[in-house]
Amino acid sequence: MTHLTRLQEDESRRVILGEAVRDVQNARSGRPAARRARAALAICALASLVLLGSGCSNLLTERAAQGDRFDQPLDGLSNGELGQFQRGQTQFRRAFTVVEGLGPIFNNVSCASCHSGDGRGNASNTLVRFSRGTDLDQSEGGPQIQDRAIPGAEPEQLPAGVDVSNRMPPPVFGVGLIEAISDSAILAHADPNDADGDGISGRPNYVTPAAYVPATEPGSGTSPRIGRFGRKAQVPALLQQAVEAFHQDIGITSPYQPAENVNPLASRVVPDLDRAQDPEVGEGEVDDVLQYMRMLAPPSPGEWTTQRRRGETLFSSARCNVCHVPSMPTGPHEIDALAYRDAPLYSDLLLHDMGDGLADNRPDGSADGREWRTAPLWGLRLVREFLNGGMLLLHDGRAHSVDEAIRLHGGEAAAARDAFIAMPAADRAALVDFVESR
Amino acid sequence: MSAGRASWRTALAAALLLAASAPALADAPQARVRAVEPPPAPLPPPEPVFGSPYHGREDGIAWGGHGDLRLGYDRVRGVANPEWFSVERVNGFFEARLHPRILIAAQGAYDRETDDFVFERAELGIRARDSWEVHGGIFLAPLGRTNLEHDAPRQEFGDRSLVATQLIGVPYAEVGAGVRGGARSGAGCPVSYELDVVTGYDDGLVMDSPGGTRLPRGRNNYGDKNAIPALAGRVALHPSARTELGLAAQSGQYNATRVGGVSVDRPRYVHLVVADAGTEVAGFRVWSEAALALIDVPPGLKPLFADRQWGGSVELARTLREPVFRAWKSTSLTAALRADAVDLDRAIPGDSRNRLSASLNLRRLPFAVGRFGWYYEVLRDRFNNGTPSAGLTLTVASYF
Repeated sequence: MTHLTRLQEDESRRVILGEAVRDVQNARSGRPAARRARAALAICALASLVLLGSGCSNLLTERAAQGDRFDQPLDGLSNGELGQFQRGQTQFRRAFTVVEGLGPIFNNVSCASCHSGDGRGNASNTLVRFSRGTDLDQSEGGPQIQDRAIPGAEPEQLPAGVDVSNRMPPPVFGVGLIEAISDSAILAHADPNDADGDGISGRPNYVTPAAYVPATEPGSGTSPRIGRFGRKAQVPALLQQAVEAFHQDIGITSPYQPAENVNPLASRVVPDLDRAQDPEVGEGEVDDVLQYMRMLAPPSPGEWTTQRRRGETLFSSARCNVCHVPSMPTGPHEIDALAYRDAPLYSDLLLHDMGDGLADNRPDGSADGREWRTAPLWGLRLVREFLNGGMLLLHDGRAHSVDEAIRLHGGEAAAARDAFIAMPAADRAALVDFVESR
Repeated sequence: MSAGRASWRTALAAALLLAASAPALADAPQARVRAVEPPPAPLPPPEPVFGSPYHGREDGIAWGGHGDLRLGYDRVRGVANPEWFSVERVNGFFEARLHPRILIAAQGAYDRETDDFVFERAELGIRARDSWEVHGGIFLAPLGRTNLEHDAPRQEFGDRSLVATQLIGVPYAEVGAGVRGGARSGAGCPVSYELDVVTGYDDGLVMDSPGGTRLPRGRNNYGDKNAIPALAGRVALHPSARTELGLAAQSGQYNATRVGGVSVDRPRYVHLVVADAGTEVAGFRVWSEAALALIDVPPGLKPLFADRQWGGSVELARTLREPVFRAWKSTSLTAALRADAVDLDRAIPGDSRNRLSASLNLRRLPFAVGRFGWYYEVLRDRFNNGTPSAGLTLTVASYF
């Protein structure tokens, strides 16, 4: 930073020399120095105005178009709800430190570090679930491996001989709409015994909510409720999903789960390693995250084109839409923006046998090892944008394109898959284009 | 006629003077001085920092300070930041020369980058010889020129470079003791040096660091949490009055191996190397700084926490007018451009920041500066998703 030495030069010498230079300048230009300086300043001012005016949008960054992001709030929220949305977004993005309670065992440091832009995760943050038959195997660290640990703690290792299921973090947006869909709307698509004989027999995953879920929360209760969240629809209440993510994924205790998650197979347990008092977050912080997720809007679908309309027709003719139901109505909800709307999720939220190829042989709730909840297709349009051009589909991200994902369908979806494969290439391209525009 | 001839001669002399000196008018004062009195390439003084302009001085005691205010219009991904005004830095210092060879110095600052009050100096220096001194207390770690000199009025930009703020953690002061001084290399080139035993970074660089390894979170100038000192040092060559080449490093254990009497980890080290260089080329003042950090991360925190980070910054500045107007004595108009980048995790494509900054500065030499700046930055998360931010800023910094 040698220019700094200039500042320390004797001021009087500076003045003398400055005047000498000025004289030289005047002589060279034949114009008064002040005039030139004013001209220079005027040019700078003009450039600034140009920058402020016409170039602002490019030089000062541009706002993403409405519907082009995963982290935008629903339309129609009140000011109070938007305030909570902002607080929740801060909590959602908050990266916990060891000092703040991270761990002792954990998978990642924040909600946002698994859900890219509030969308899907990638291979680096895939969760590993395991069980022994129907036993979620908590005595051996189940139902999920925490493969990271703070100093002094031991990360979990996968026990031998267990059933393993890798799970990509799913998108977070739109879960409020999923929560608001009425039971009757979901059950209207259920056909557990394939009474219509079409080979597709969707059924809900009835699971009992965690005892800590208050009765005021949707999906709460002491009896089994329809599961809506998770790859096997194994979670009935959004609050439970948030609390479990705090506890299992980040190692953060809350009033709902106040005891630390520890590695039961560790050679030793050192208490108070994470330096924070339990519970490490309060009900308010959990609620902010919960409401944030509820109020996240699904992105808008892409523009209709001739090819996409044709793709939609083919999507229906191949009977993809039997499971990937384009839209379901929501019922009443305490957030007006979620109540009585169409949720264009392209899912029936039901369990379907997807065949041996996709089976993880790991039951969850009433879902068996071959069943998966129909994956919503909304937001596929933007997946590549938030995964650096990649597209990791299916529960474990094994499919790198919609075409590949369809080809990996089996079980109840085998007929739809075969219909897709039998299509001419142009038709397949139209169908894929339609799906990727959702 | 004679007046016209005189004017012509003046112009010719001026042209010759300009051609002989340098392309930039900013160079002219230096060139003129050199023509009269070739510089003897003095030894660098062993003083800890360049002397700051002081508010008052009496009986060997000097005191002063500086402040830095920022007005900004900042946008992140097109959304304006409501915080349009901030106090970036308020600094106060005090120096007392108890004896021609003994100096006590204290300096504290509120710094927005750290969002905290920081003791930058509480130091006793004893000059053992004319060319070197021993010192101890709290002092700025010799990790690059930026950390040693970051008084706001001296800077060409309203904010410091990313490598300074995100990697080194400027301002970074530590508790320690050491020697500093000047010497000559074998070729006669002046060399300044400093070698210290210091507290070093603590385990906050991973344990209190949200989202990944961040060395600035391990700054600690109030004591050493693990009682294991680190070694810090810097050597700088001064081939000419306006050229400096510096190389600095710090190495030490950062973690505490026991918690509550129970062994929880083995000793882990952080090594930081900082190189800086400054000179003048074709009328431009060029300055750059680069840093590389190697961190021994506990295995349970890998790969979320980086074990290698680096960053660099290049800054160009040119004086456009000096003085700006005839009546404005001791003023200058300067344009500056800076490109800087940090990669906070070399193992993945993301977790990085890149920024381009431009600034037009009006100085009242040497005390104050008003800067009109623009910046554009892209922050990449660990998914490598980019978040652009940009802003127009007006910053005013002055000694008082």
